[in-house]
Amino acid sequence: MNKFANFKDLLAYCETENCSIGEAALRYEVSLGDRTTEAILQGVQTILSQMKDTIQSGLLSEEKSMSGLSGGFSKKVITFVDSPTAFLSPLEHKMMAYALATLEENSRMKRIVACPTAGASGVVPAVLIALAEEKQIPPEKLQMGLLAAGLVGEIVSRRMHLSGAAAGCQAEVGVATGMAAAAIVECLDGTPQQALDATAISFKNMMGLVCDPVAGLVEVPCVKRNSVAGLHASAAATLALSGVYSFVPLDEVVDAMVSVGRMMSPKLKESAEGGLAQTPTALAFTEQFQKKEK
Amino acid sequence: MTSHGSLFDIMGPIMIGPSSSHTAGAVRLASLARNVANGKVSRVNFVLYNSFAKTYQGHGTDKGLIAGLLGMGVEDEGIRHAEEAAKAQGLDFRFTVWEEANHYPPNTVRFEMELENGETLTVIGHSIGGGKVYISRINEYNVSLKGEYPTLVMFYHDEPGMIWRVTKIIAEQNINIASLTCTRRDKGTEAFMAICLDSLLPDEQVEEIRRIPHVYTVHNVDKITS
Ligand code: SF4
Repeated sequence: MNKFANFKDLLAYCETENCSIGEAALRYEVSLGDRTTEAILQGVQTILSQMKDTIQSGLLSEEKSMSGLSGGFSKKVITFVDSPTAFLSPLEHKMMAYALATLEENSRMKRIVACPTAGASGVVPAVLIALAEEKQIPPEKLQMGLLAAGLVGEIVSRRMHLSGAAAGCQAEVGVATGMAAAAIVECLDGTPQQALDATAISFKNMMGLVCDPVAGLVEVPCVKRNSVAGLHASAAATLALSGVYSFVPLDEVVDAMVSVGRMMSPKLKESAEGGLAQTPTALAFTEQFQKKEK
Repeated sequence: MTSHGSLFDIMGPIMIGPSSSHTAGAVRLASLARNVANGKVSRVNFVLYNSFAKTYQGHGTDKGLIAGLLGMGVEDEGIRHAEEAAKAQGLDFRFTVWEEANHYPPNTVRFEMELENGETLTVIGHSIGGGKVYISRINEYNVSLKGEYPTLVMFYHDEPGMIWRVTKIIAEQNINIASLTCTRRDKGTEAFMAICLDSLLPDEQVEEIRRIPHVYTVHNVDKITS
């Protein structure tokens, strides 16, 4: 079986086999030899159910995180949809609220699905679950969407470590956004080329995103960054589905991200020595927080 | 990085937040340390270095380390209350914060453990992102142990025929060897062997290996299960 050395390879495979990226992903996972098709789909369903559970418990909760930095925002966004000033659709409100709900649960030490990491765990679930609810995507299709996202992440992970410490937030929320964009295209029956264009467009806009967490905690800016990233993925998927394509092919976009990651100062890679983490407000909080910890 | 990984490592794992490297990584690293100790730890001092030292409470690294040593997996909701669980199960723990150690990767812990039989065991391990971990030292020996396979780790006096003797015992159990690494300082001095297996070697055979002349120590380390 083709193990997809790069995205070009994946696209060629989908074209000859006349299959979607989700199906290619399923065959790839089978080819690893650890699980049957049935077991894989069951595993994917378990993940989707956990994503949904996390969103549901997060939406209901107003509990603050251990640091007090986050908690309670998801509820605000989901209720704002009914206000006369709301100007986006329920789908978009859900995407934003669901990602907040997930990240807020994450910061309360509740159960989440790292996708691809805990810090970026809000984007893919928010997009998939909101889409399923608002566009009536059947469960089998949703599983394919998640598998497509997984394969996109896997191919990127062979070229860069998916962690803020290694390559900045472009490797976490950035990669999650590209994964989510491919998942949307898969769920809406776009072509494999469109899915990869959606990913490429996402990555081109996320490239260079730094990892600058206040006090080193996975809360500010992570929680809200996840929330907005779902809309970002939706915009990229909309462009791709409408026929807009990426001038630079996805493989080259990924190479560019890798090289940007290398050029990025270590101060902008999770160490809390740059970006938002060094603003006066962040520093004041950090000092107070560290006193409390000791 | 070029290996072909499971998609379940990308769209997963299901875990307790907030951080793959600082929380899930801490749980996994401590479970591996627990496996090196064969589960019977009665007292531990966690010595934290670098990034682990700076932000261990905000990320629940402390709870994760205790939970892993108690045998919890990354998705166990009990992680939040690991301190209470440790008290209930009689695990005596403390933390020592060692801010900077440039020779170690960002997230490093030294487990100074006392086992139920009174022996002491020191393990140094690292969390390298996405929940991936490895142990680089057991007592005075350098190792490289990732917890992906059940692994037999042994230290012995470099002697001809040692690999044959050990692999024969394993083969007799019909256990497949996934990989074998062997290193030594100099010819005829101390050597180290790590054998990754498809399933854990039974205790009886481990004892048999311990009885081979010139074998110093043997650790039969199970893989990390979650
Ligand atoms: S800012 Fe850093 S910690 Fe937060 S989500 Fe991005 S990579 Fe993760």
